[in-house]
Amino acid sequence: MTVNEKKCKGITIVSLNGSLDAASAPGVLNSSSALTDTQSIVIDLSGVDFLDSSGLGCLVGIARKKREQGGDVRLACLNEKLRKVFDITRASRLFDIYDDAEYAAGTAAKK
Amino acid sequence: MQQERQRKNNYPMNTFMTMSLPSDIHYARIASKTAMMVAEFFSGQSGIAEKREEFCHAFELAVAEAFANSVFNAAPQEKERQVMISFSSEKSELMVSVSDANPEFDPEMQVPDILSYPEHGYGLVLIRQLMDSVRYSRQDGMNQLSMIKNAG
Repeated sequence: MTVNEKKCKGITIVSLNGSLDAASAPGVLNSSSALTDTQSIVIDLSGVDFLDSSGLGCLVGIARKKREQGGDVRLACLNEKLRKVFDITRASRLFDIYDDAEYAAGTAAKK
Repeated sequence: MQQERQRKNNYPMNTFMTMSLPSDIHYARIASKTAMMVAEFFSGQSGIAEKREEFCHAFELAVAEAFANSVFNAAPQEKERQVMISFSSEKSELMVSVSDANPEFDPEMQVPDILSYPEHGYGLVLIRQLMDSVRYSRQDGMNQLSMIKNAG
């Protein structure tokens, strides 16, 4: 799992690449301070080719901590396999999900 | 003899592949990718093109979840144990069984309330939704989770 960051409209977009699963999820939080600080972010999942329940749990944990601290997290670019996981677990009720990461950053910046 | 054993287990299927991996989460991707490839091969042999990708992803994810459950259910001093995975088929049905010598567990976990931000508890929920049939058995100190999906 590799993690990259970029700024768009003042919002940090964190791009995850690889498998977000039980093996990689514990290390994700340590790979980017944007995932754990109070700012609102967008997580771009276009590079994630596999997501399991531990990976989903990692995203849920990020959302909980952000919202407790007044921030938020938006998700972008989920492929069909990832959407299936979100649909089954109803996690799509917990996140605003966008097809485009920069558009998601724009909506976060306006808020 | 093999068929007789299979009948006793109520799974009249032909086992064509078994593998054993260390009970270590870093091997989960090997298990899940192998399951995906077996499903690809099986669905190709069955001549089924429609929903093939969905069929293969179901096995990839279900085995990842079952393997992770097995690793996380092992007592810390038992990390050198193995997780056994076997693949069987009958007509257009593919079955994967994940077995271990861990303590017994409850396979009837309910869907967690997503709005309370649970970070765990989705694995068995995913397995049950992805597969047509899921059976748990405990025999001779071994857990066995058998997951069946029809490629048709």
